[in-house]
Amino acid sequence: MTENAIEMKNLTKKFGDFTAVDNLSLDIKENEIFGFLGPNGAGKSTTIRMLCTLSNPTSGSAKIAGYDIMKDPAEVRKKIGLVAEKMIMYDTLTSAENLRFFGKLYRIPKQKLEDRIDELLELVDMQKWKHTQIEKFSTGMKQRINVIRALLPEPEIIFMDEPTLGLDPQTTYSIRDITREINKTGVTVILTTHAMIEAEALSDRVAIIDHGKIVALDTPQNLKNLITKSDVSIFGAEITNLTPKLIDKINSLDVVDAVAQQDVHKLKISANDTDALNQIIDIIRQEGGNIASITKSNETTLEDVFLAVTGKEIRDQATAKTASHYMDVEAPKSRIR
Amino acid sequence: MGAIQILQDSYQVMIKDMIEFKRNRFEVAGLIAFPLIFLLLFGFIFPSGSTHENVQMGLVNLDQGAGSNEFITQMETMNNQLATTKNSSYMSFNNYSSVDAAKTAISQGKINGAFVIPPGFSNNVTNGQPGDIIIAVDNSNPQVASTVEQASSTTINGLNGIKANTNVLKLSNAANQQINPQAIIAPYAPNFQTTIPGTTNYFNFLAPGLIVMIGMMYIMNGIPETIAKEKEMGTFDGMLSAPIHHLSIILGKAMGLTIRGLVQCAFVLIFAVLLFGVIVQGSLLLIAFLTFLAIFSFIGIGIMAVSLAKDQGTAAMIMDFLMFPMMFLSGVIFPIQQMPWFMQDIAKVIPLTYAGDAMRKIMLLNANLADVSTDLIILLGFGIITLLIALPLFSRSMKD
Repeated sequence: MTENAIEMKNLTKKFGDFTAVDNLSLDIKENEIFGFLGPNGAGKSTTIRMLCTLSNPTSGSAKIAGYDIMKDPAEVRKKIGLVAEKMIMYDTLTSAENLRFFGKLYRIPKQKLEDRIDELLELVDMQKWKHTQIEKFSTGMKQRINVIRALLPEPEIIFMDEPTLGLDPQTTYSIRDITREINKTGVTVILTTHAMIEAEALSDRVAIIDHGKIVALDTPQNLKNLITKSDVSIFGAEITNLTPKLIDKINSLDVVDAVAQQDVHKLKISANDTDALNQIIDIIRQEGGNIASITKSNETTLEDVFLAVTGKEIRDQATAKTASHYMDVEAPKSRIR
Repeated sequence: MGAIQILQDSYQVMIKDMIEFKRNRFEVAGLIAFPLIFLLLFGFIFPSGSTHENVQMGLVNLDQGAGSNEFITQMETMNNQLATTKNSSYMSFNNYSSVDAAKTAISQGKINGAFVIPPGFSNNVTNGQPGDIIIAVDNSNPQVASTVEQASSTTINGLNGIKANTNVLKLSNAANQQINPQAIIAPYAPNFQTTIPGTTNYFNFLAPGLIVMIGMMYIMNGIPETIAKEKEMGTFDGMLSAPIHHLSIILGKAMGLTIRGLVQCAFVLIFAVLLFGVIVQGSLLLIAFLTFLAIFSFIGIGIMAVSLAKDQGTAAMIMDFLMFPMMFLSGVIFPIQQMPWFMQDIAKVIPLTYAGDAMRKIMLLNANLADVSTDLIILLGFGIITLLIALPLFSRSMKD
């Protein structure tokens, strides 16, 4: 096996005129937890689908555990596990029946398969539900089975596409714990998420992806340092009579890189000059804006990094009403091909 | 990847599909209910035989002589003899005073036709001349017109026979000769012997075709539906990302559908025998084998549709587009012999035609394997050729 778990070279996927993944070149190291962070439609899922041999790239190539996804798809499939956004399991089958079915597709010997099923159910604390049909489970329970399904054949690399989307906080934490445990056993984890906290909490390295391109790639800490060390400042502004016109005015300032609306009154503004704050306040006052508060956070978050590098907020602005990431549930589904 | 491995994996897919099916009560109920509904529908919307009941006829007697009165009396006796049950009658008569009155009644839809006995009828009959009878028919509805014509000719033929019988007897008595009048009136006596014992009805014709047709519908609707369901649920990706060949998925699903289709066809047969009195002459084993072959011959078309269509809606549309002509042109519902020549030519390229034909021969005529070998070879060939085209198409459609 090569030192890199995954090597992508100029990987490109086009759907007609639309370029979902644009010339992606990237190496992912063995036993790394690698996070793809990006808004809906950024190309995360399409990248994962290509790496899992579910979709052929338009151009470029990729190697998984040393095997080319186009030339050796069968070998690639033996090395990977997939936790897709849509859970891969049959509702009317029990946990054991689901796991057994997929285990047989991987040709795991009978006794070994039964042992492995018990072992994995134990890992996610679901032994009690071994013979219960999936349809009776809560979303959180389903996701646990969905995760261990991918682990059945002891893959070298596991892909997790939005693994905590729509889950309650408790399950979210437990899925993250499981992910770390999997990683400790030597498995490389590729994670996609549009939740900053998740990328930050889990990933060794994060690639911020937008319009099919990597716009930033580093450890979460280094990404945050990008902002702290540069001239970029992120301000929070609360304006009681916020209008779209006012947002446009603020955005048109030279010192302002990006403006993101967080709720009815709140804005996040990314600016790049020492005089920025004065200019922003001036323009708000000039337009009759009523400022309730202006804040400048000392601790940068990945969210700030995202705003600075992509010029937009990660969440779909129309649906984002609170800063909680659990609101992501209501965000429009990413395009799945 | 070897063929054996592909088959082993497809067996796993089939077992999984069967468990899923077993747990879905609606699908299990549908498997039994669908044949029943279909049989009831087709069993009752079509006429069960060629009998007529209560044909409304007008009667205009412009002669009013002894001959015409005798004719009418005999016709009424005849009518009662032809009636199938006590409470019904073959024809019912309404008297009208003139031809115009009868024609008006026809126009108003009160009667379907009228017997008109012209003046001088009695005179003609007694003087050894043929007695003309005019039969007015409402031919605005061809089916009613043919019913009236049939009913009238049956009656008149019967009356002719009675009259001729009497006349021949009179003549033979006068000539002092012993004669069988029937030998003179009708020297040729056809004796119809049918291939199937008992009375035939439309249902005997329909049931064998329905079995293969329902089998066809099950597989052709089933393939796009089962693939679409997995794609929609996301489980399809689970199978595609596993180290199995794409063909294992579709073959496993086709195997599961074939088994369920066979079970459904068995229900059609059971209901046809129990509820509609269809008598099975041929071997059940041969019937099962033919049903399997019929279902098999449609798998390729089903896979082609699902491979060419981008979504289930399109696949279903392609299926309807293919299935409806097959249903109506294959001779399952309407005999092919009734169709114009170009329709008959189309019927010849539809596999269902051969499946229905072979099934009818086996079920009703007790045909053996050799008798239907041409049909079987055509079905097998059709199935293999379509599969050979369909499988590469399916593999290609798996990746976008």
